[in-house]
Amino acid sequence: MNRSEAAANSTRATLRISLSNMTFLPAVLFFVLWELFARMNATLKLFNPRFLPPPTVLIEEGWRLAKTGIILDSIISSTTRIAAGFAIGCAAALIAGVLIAKFKAVEFWFAPILNLVGPIPALALLPLFIIWFGIGEFPKILLIAWTTFIPVLVNTLDGFKSVPSTLVRSALSLGASDRQVFLRVMLPAAVPNFLVGAQVSLGLSFSALIVSEMMGASSGLGYIIVDARNFFKMSNMFIAIILIGLEYSLFSWLLKLVEKKALAWRKDGLRNAVQR
Amino acid sequence: MKLEVRNVSKSYGGRLVLRNIDLAVEEREFICILGHSGCGKSTLLNMIAGYIPPDSGEIIVDGKQVTGPSRSRGMVFQDHALFPWLTVLNNIAFGPRVQKVPKTEAKQMAREYLKLVGLEAYESHYPAELSGGMKQRVGIARALAGRPDILLMDEPFGALDVLTRESMQAELRRICEGLQPTVLFVTHSISEAVYLADRVVIMKHGAIADVFKVGMPHPRSPHSPQFGEAAARIERVLMDDERTEAHFAVEEALYAPKAGSA
Repeated sequence: MNRSEAAANSTRATLRISLSNMTFLPAVLFFVLWELFARMNATLKLFNPRFLPPPTVLIEEGWRLAKTGIILDSIISSTTRIAAGFAIGCAAALIAGVLIAKFKAVEFWFAPILNLVGPIPALALLPLFIIWFGIGEFPKILLIAWTTFIPVLVNTLDGFKSVPSTLVRSALSLGASDRQVFLRVMLPAAVPNFLVGAQVSLGLSFSALIVSEMMGASSGLGYIIVDARNFFKMSNMFIAIILIGLEYSLFSWLLKLVEKKALAWRKDGLRNAVQR
Repeated sequence: MKLEVRNVSKSYGGRLVLRNIDLAVEEREFICILGHSGCGKSTLLNMIAGYIPPDSGEIIVDGKQVTGPSRSRGMVFQDHALFPWLTVLNNIAFGPRVQKVPKTEAKQMAREYLKLVGLEAYESHYPAELSGGMKQRVGIARALAGRPDILLMDEPFGALDVLTRESMQAELRRICEGLQPTVLFVTHSISEAVYLADRVVIMKHGAIADVFKVGMPHPRSPHSPQFGEAAARIERVLMDDERTEAHFAVEEALYAPKAGSA
């Protein structure tokens, strides 16, 4: 290997290392291209420039909006709703899952009903909830909780059903009572499935959050979007959309953190299949 | 008498898998149940464990009839069945813990059994981090820590490679010399049975074909003439009706089409 070849190799190596460290690069490039395109459109008028404001204008407008306190208020009310609804939905699903798995009678009476109402898109229920419970916080949180409930319950039940019989058998042969088998074997064995359900329903519950804030609300990120539509404030709409995205990423990251902590014992998976 | 199986039968979907099994096991005896796959040996073990009830007959341990699983009969599974979310130490401490032994004491007991199988260095590892042989050592330690009256082992070394298997057999013998437990060990390996057992129960087609007393001192060498002799005798019993079965198959093949066309 001659010297220039070695030099080329080393620069390639440093390039690769620096690339893997710059995970933000695609996002930056995305916003730069958006900015350039929007600026270009402002002069070329391919379509109405107000339809797609450039990111710098959005930052400006966002700052102006933030100073009025609207953004902070919206984030607080949206976060409260999603956190409450998601937590209630997960807890209810876990309790229902335990009852269904433990008591044959509960399964007999409730499983068919769940099969009946489970597939109905939760958003279809929102107008009904508003008529029944008004436009306060309750119907919104209820809707989010319900959207969370079904996928978490289905996955948790699946978890209970797929516990290897040898695990239950060994617990029984070690002297565990039925109660101990449930608490020390069934529940921990179903945790991975429960978390899968939570991940799945997080996306759905965010949809429920935004839609419920679009109908009959006076605060929240979804409300900013409808309000912006009514007054044709395009930049506000984009600001709310971006904030929703950020909020979702934050929740998803938190859930991943919980998962990593709870499933530290799992060593399999694609990432560990081949070590690089 | 530690364990008595009296006239036990079991059938699945009209097919008789066990018929009229009688077996008596003495205290501190090491019994190997040997047979081809599908001969009903695992079903028998599962019934003694209390996982499945016999259709007829009864199973008696220490004078009491078996009605379900309990800590008096500890089980080691082929797939080791360790709790993947518990560390090695907590897996072994599971038995004492559910038997209401205080936490620190249970851990202390678990450490002793861990030492017995030579895995002290791995107490805070999770099962997924261990090799197959190590997992099975933990499985044995966990079953022993439950302090069973009888240790049941369902092809515990069946999934291990030959080298690990041999060292595990020696290890199990060493443990048995020390603790002197009553063991029922299911296997389909003749040499494993001859190496480990005081008596080998040979099962064929859901019935006990023969019981063979090994009567050699431990440690047994697979290369000694007596070992070879014992293995050959057992093999003869096992393979005996392979031939007649083959005959039946040939006869069936010869006569079935004619019967069909007639």
